[in-house]
Amino acid sequence: MVTEEQIEHVSKLMKIDIDDHKEYVDKVQTMIDYFDVLDSADVESEEISMHEITISNLREDEYVPFNEKLIDKLNNYKGTYVRAPKMS
Amino acid sequence: MNLKISALEFVQQVQNGNISAEDFVAKTLERIQSIDDKLHAFLSVNEKAVDQARDIDKKIKSGSKVGACFGMPISIKDNMCIKDSKTTCASKMLENFVAPYDATVVTKLKEQDAVFVGKVNLDEFAMGLTTEFSAFGSSKNPWNTEYVPGGSSGGSAVSVSAFECVASLGSDTGGSVRNPASFCSVVGYKPTYGLISRYGLISYSNSIEQIGPLTRTVKDTAFMLNIISGLDPNDNTTIDNKNEDYLSGIDSGIEGKKIGIIKEMVGEGTDPAVLSATKNAISKLENLGATCEDVSLDMVKYSVAAYYTITATEAGSNLARYDNLRYGYDFSVEGYEFNSYIAKARRNFGPEVIRRMIIGGFVPSAGHAGKYFLKALKVKSKLTREINEAFKKFDLLISPTVPILPFKIGEKIDDPVSLFLIDINTVTANLTGKPSISVPFTISNGLPIGIQLLADSMNDKLLLQAAYALEQTTTLQEVPI
Repeated sequence: MVTEEQIEHVSKLMKIDIDDHKEYVDKVQTMIDYFDVLDSADVESEEISMHEITISNLREDEYVPFNEKLIDKLNNYKGTYVRAPKMS
Repeated sequence: MNLKISALEFVQQVQNGNISAEDFVAKTLERIQSIDDKLHAFLSVNEKAVDQARDIDKKIKSGSKVGACFGMPISIKDNMCIKDSKTTCASKMLENFVAPYDATVVTKLKEQDAVFVGKVNLDEFAMGLTTEFSAFGSSKNPWNTEYVPGGSSGGSAVSVSAFECVASLGSDTGGSVRNPASFCSVVGYKPTYGLISRYGLISYSNSIEQIGPLTRTVKDTAFMLNIISGLDPNDNTTIDNKNEDYLSGIDSGIEGKKIGIIKEMVGEGTDPAVLSATKNAISKLENLGATCEDVSLDMVKYSVAAYYTITATEAGSNLARYDNLRYGYDFSVEGYEFNSYIAKARRNFGPEVIRRMIIGGFVPSAGHAGKYFLKALKVKSKLTREINEAFKKFDLLISPTVPILPFKIGEKIDDPVSLFLIDINTVTANLTGKPSISVPFTISNGLPIGIQLLADSMNDKLLLQAAYALEQTTTLQEVPI
């Protein structure tokens, strides 16, 4: 069962402000209930295969300058620094 | 001026001097002006499009080298970057984001003298299959404006279907190109994973998503693929297709080909009209000399649950970059603590994005990962084995693209599970990396039905040949707009 505490915990982990955690309990529960179908999939012995790609021709490891002052596009910056809020 | 021509017809007519790129692009913009209020395909229009087309005309007249597109007007889903243009992802979070560089697909199309007429609507961050989750409002289906156009590349499908451009680019994570193509009666293509560079596509679920063209004809899709596919040093998941020409031999036919009918995709929950269209398509392919037989992919039953688990997890990680510090809306950092500032800024996400972020935090978290995320990855592995096995026996697989007909705007928006099930036929190609196409096949009570074909990885050329053969068996009525 999805609880309000779990929603609160996950929304904190994901850094999203939610007014009403209760509102999401049912919504998340409905979706999670559907995911329970995975329990009936016969995959216990299955190995998780990764998508393997052999890369032989990597690009040269050289610095390619980006000829624009990207920092100018930011709302909050000072000199060449991004302005961030205080860490607590 | 006939705006209803295909991409290849456009190229030919400009080459022959029958039309100028400038006139055609100008008329296209007029068309957008006059009908897009009704359809809401476009989020922004390129004011310089006519000037760009004029420059291309000048190149043609002066005899200098001209790219393969000859000034063709193209629309592009607003989750791909065009330098100095807004790229909003249909999100309030990126409402004012101006891309500092071109996506690789954009670079390639610009090099071939395509003209981008505008950026088109999608579900916020491509999360959805109706465009109803766009922060800027839903697009409308040109076949009936009370109906959804499908999604998430809904704006792309609408713009091609309603003659607001000649071709479009979308992105397909679980059917986002093929679903709206089916709902709007255009061709939609999801290539082999890695065939098209994703550099400059705003990430949603990197391990399975691909950019793909939406066009009026299968040949046009092959034409677009010739331009945008291939290795890219900026995306190391791209694969070398040795500059394959997808257009040559497209009319080779399908005689002697073996086609598997995916049993799990024509069962319960499929609309009778969709089922009968699929049967009809199968018998037409048989008439062309193919043999069709049932095949079972048992894991399809679990594919949608696996798909949402994997995509929500990847989305949760991808959306972590929206901290409102480098891009986002104008919101001062003064007086805020770091985490609460980010959390507050993220209130600008729409409800579907927030839901998926929560799910994306939930399913891979300690205590839940084994039950959901790891199991989803196992389903993905087993499904891939099953489909690889099927391709030992069959050249192609077939199913309806979407099990149901387009539905009314608002009808399913509050029912996430019934929306999930609409993806059942499309997610397999994404989870397994296989190429897949939706071919417009018939119109039932005024609403389009598309047929989906799949081929093995790197068999994109064969897939397009089969799609072309299927397309030739049907003459579709014109969109009533």
